[in-house]
Amino acid sequence: MLKYAFRRLLGMIPMLLLTSIVVFTLAKLMPGDSLTGEIDPRNTNPKYIQEMRDKLGYNDPMPKQYFRWISNFSEGEFGKSTRFKIPVSEVIGERLPNTLLLGFASILITYMLAFFMGLYSGRKPYTLGDNLIGGLNYIGLSVPAFIAGVFAIFLFSFKLDWFPSNGSVAIGLTDGTFEWWMSRLHHVFLPAVVLGLLATASYTQFLRNDIIENSRKDYVRTARAKGTPEKKIYNVHILRNSIIPLITFLGFDIVAIISGAIITETIFTYPGLGQLFLQSVSTRDYPVLMTLTMMFSFLTLVGNLIADILYGVVDPRIRLD
Amino acid sequence: MELVTQNEKNVMITPPKKSLSPWALARKKFVKNKMAMISSIFLLIVAVISFLAPYITTADITRINIGEMALEPSNKHWFGTDKAGRDVFTRLLYGGRISLLVGMSCTLFVILLGTFIGAVAGYFGGAVDSLLMRFTDFILNFPFLVFVIVLNAILFGKVSGLWVLIGVISFLSWGGIARIVRSKILAEKENEYITAAIAIGCSPAKIIVKHLLPNVLSTIIVQATITFATMIVVESGLSYLGFGVPQEIPSWGNMLNSANEPDVLQFKLWIWVPPALIITITILSINFIGEGLKDAFNPKSRR
Repeated sequence: MLKYAFRRLLGMIPMLLLTSIVVFTLAKLMPGDSLTGEIDPRNTNPKYIQEMRDKLGYNDPMPKQYFRWISNFSEGEFGKSTRFKIPVSEVIGERLPNTLLLGFASILITYMLAFFMGLYSGRKPYTLGDNLIGGLNYIGLSVPAFIAGVFAIFLFSFKLDWFPSNGSVAIGLTDGTFEWWMSRLHHVFLPAVVLGLLATASYTQFLRNDIIENSRKDYVRTARAKGTPEKKIYNVHILRNSIIPLITFLGFDIVAIISGAIITETIFTYPGLGQLFLQSVSTRDYPVLMTLTMMFSFLTLVGNLIADILYGVVDPRIRLD
Repeated sequence: MELVTQNEKNVMITPPKKSLSPWALARKKFVKNKMAMISSIFLLIVAVISFLAPYITTADITRINIGEMALEPSNKHWFGTDKAGRDVFTRLLYGGRISLLVGMSCTLFVILLGTFIGAVAGYFGGAVDSLLMRFTDFILNFPFLVFVIVLNAILFGKVSGLWVLIGVISFLSWGGIARIVRSKILAEKENEYITAAIAIGCSPAKIIVKHLLPNVLSTIIVQATITFATMIVVESGLSYLGFGVPQEIPSWGNMLNSANEPDVLQFKLWIWVPPALIITITILSINFIGEGLKDAFNPKSRR
């Protein structure tokens, strides 16, 4: 198992290098470059611009530029944002906690909702409650996140006024106080639910079907024959077997949250990495754009790796090699 | 002798009752599935009236009409008008054309590319397989939305906008199909009839197209349905964000884009609710059709 994980980790390195080449090429293909952010905008003397281009290395051959970028990148130097005029790491560092909070809240809400709904549906299949949950799940699977987001803002923010419709925290609160944290949680709740909608629906359905399948197995019959109370059979015997496969989805959650965050953060104007990414595309802030794209690619790789490894951990019958 | 033959001829030969072919069986099961049939009919109606839009409505949606800005629904404008004075109902029809066209084209390309790569990798195996599958892994490991947005930003303006989007989406999403087709082909090619086909000298292309693909076709059809739904979500989501279909072309996602304005979202429901609902119902019905097909092709499910 460890050997497999280690080999997969090593296998990520060429993947990342290839991705970095793709990202670099794409950034170079995009119209314009980040030069305009680096020079004095009032000086339009062509000679000065030419000099600055030379000095900053924009006229070097492509491979040389690539190697300079990737070696700086691997040392943690991502360059300077052309839009904010501060290092990229600071721009990202500022937004990262927001996206992390959103991601964690979303996973937590997803698993809690899926756990309780799946448990109920699995225990009482084909009843009114189960059909109700099933119907909700079907809607959850079919409504795209951005439409769910728009409806959620309309209903819960504008009509009912329960949750704020934008931002990550109320203005005028001191960092770290209790009110500040409550305000952040208040702001993150609605985007987190919308972000986890699809996962909630599919996990609930998965847990339900798994519980139903398990309840027909021999060990459950044995437990019943021994006179184990029905409650204990479901909450101990079956649950243990059904909850484990659910864990394997954690890897996919990471992948789903990356693209989900781009959409959800934009709808809720939540200042996180997804929103920053879209802004960097439209304002042509290449250093930020390249760093974020590399970061998202890395996280996707890690997510898929975790999913593969967890598969093997949960089900030893799957041979990993 | 002659008498005997005469006798045999007189006996009424009753042909044994022919059992249905797998396809006929699947069709029968699908027709019995109420939700799937209702969904199919709904989707058909949406598609037909969208593609016949120029014959159904006469309202001009290409011009901004200052005199009729953001009107409420009335007899003249069934769903009202948007902030540029364009008829929402007409735009919904034209938008459906674009959204369904993008969805269908992407599905077609994704299925063709995915099936081709999956079938070749699965049939030939060995070095071809590992090369193609490494490439598939590489594509699958890209964060999809991120790269669609970046690629679209690069190519935008160089080629006609709509086809850029279709090309970019298709290029980045065939990986899943290729994997599924490959695993199906791997299992199917172990059968003896394939060995027989090789023995009588069929070319690999003929074996794949004539012998292998018909046996994995049911899987491909089900996957195509799921892909179609996904592609409509992708198109409308990207357009909603402003990175999809060019703004001047109406599509369901572009229409929903106006919900970004708090004023429209809160007080002018008729502008954004129709596209939101039609997207959701379309996805829902495609999902029902997908479920119905999956059930119909599954020989274990008896209804």
